[in-house]
Amino acid sequence: MTYRWDFTPVFANWTLLAEGLLNTLKVTGTALSCGLVLGLVLALMRLSWHRLASWPAGFVIELFRTTPPLVQLFWCFFALPLLVGIEMTPFMAAAVTFSIQSAAFFAEVFRAGIQSVERGQWDGARAIGMTQAQAMRRIVLPQAVKRMIPAFMERAIELMKTTTLVATISYADLLFAANEVSQKTFRPLETYTVVALVYFAVIFLASLLARRLELRLARSGESTVH
Amino acid sequence: MRWDFASVFANTDALLAGAAGTLRIFAICLVLGLSLGLVVGLGRYARNPWLYWPSSAFVEFFRNTPVLVQILWFYFALPILLPFSISPLAAASLGISLNSAAFSAEIYRGGIQSIDRGQWDGARAIGMSWAQAMRRIILPQALKRMTPALTNRAIEIFKMSTLASTVAYVELLQQGKLIASLNFNPIEAYTAVAVIFFVFLWPLVQFTYLLERRLRRDE
Repeated sequence: MTYRWDFTPVFANWTLLAEGLLNTLKVTGTALSCGLVLGLVLALMRLSWHRLASWPAGFVIELFRTTPPLVQLFWCFFALPLLVGIEMTPFMAAAVTFSIQSAAFFAEVFRAGIQSVERGQWDGARAIGMTQAQAMRRIVLPQAVKRMIPAFMERAIELMKTTTLVATISYADLLFAANEVSQKTFRPLETYTVVALVYFAVIFLASLLARRLELRLARSGESTVH
Repeated sequence: MRWDFASVFANTDALLAGAAGTLRIFAICLVLGLSLGLVVGLGRYARNPWLYWPSSAFVEFFRNTPVLVQILWFYFALPILLPFSISPLAAASLGISLNSAAFSAEIYRGGIQSIDRGQWDGARAIGMSWAQAMRRIILPQALKRMTPALTNRAIEIFKMSTLASTVAYVELLQQGKLIASLNFNPIEAYTAVAVIFFVFLWPLVQFTYLLERRLRRDE
């Protein structure tokens, strides 16, 4: 039995797949930018001396790091809207889940980065009259962020792969488009192969860029955190 | 909003069946993923191009595509090329195991490379073959350094097992969906599932932290 491959029905639906890819990038971009901001907030809370700040932050970080992303997504899509009484579109549920989830991971990266900056930098900043907040913003964070870049890139790539889960709540990302095209054309083999290759192309390119950046940072003598 | 967990506890049987399914696929993927990963990792470390290139292609491909796409490919696409169909458990296990093999291969390679060259030279000097040196001298030392990364991988595999629900394999999340749709109690059903996963995974995560701390202290 030899199967006759035929990719033409898949390519005929390329607009559906292209739209899917755009939506994948949209979810990834949203979660990434919200996750970075929220992650910094969580990290600063976690490092704070106040238990009222550090304990809730620690709880959110642990909770989102120790439960499966798909369970979080289902909870946010099916349970959360009933609890708070608002309609949630699949996009909103995905954005909320993946923002908090990446924030939890980014928070640990921020924390490691901030802690990797030598104590002397703090002392120096205080000595020239800066407040704690000024020292953090102007002296410590800029140095810490540079060391965190490789870990951030790695996490961003993980995030893009994780966003395929949104297909399970019918958000029209690339994987959802694949399911649709496959059912429409009765060509699952060709469709899923093409879509796997598209994902590979995008993610492999991003990994190569990340690796190059990491090499360049290493050559300029920057230490990095993971 | 009144929470009512009675409707969840009434379905304890279903949740237990789900937990059994989760543990089964976790065990399969852990064993297959970590052992295949060692083979691929050694291939990545080899100088022979016939070993190096195929294992590198395998690692790059499986690391740079989403695991859910891999599972769906094995479930919907692969059977077309085969004379038999593929069960949800087989498709999900294939996807998760191969994906984990690619990730753990990099852990093994990094661990082996981190061992001092002198250890190799010493082993060869007392007359060991490459395989003997690897098995008796290098791997035991490398394994110690790799343990935190490997337990992290085990945690990831446990989390990934939920993806099997997308091909209707009976595991915890799948049973949660079932309970939610039969009893109209999504809040309680999904909260219960999340709590069960947390209870399983939290000790594992703490154990990994402990290993990491101990390793940092030892080195």
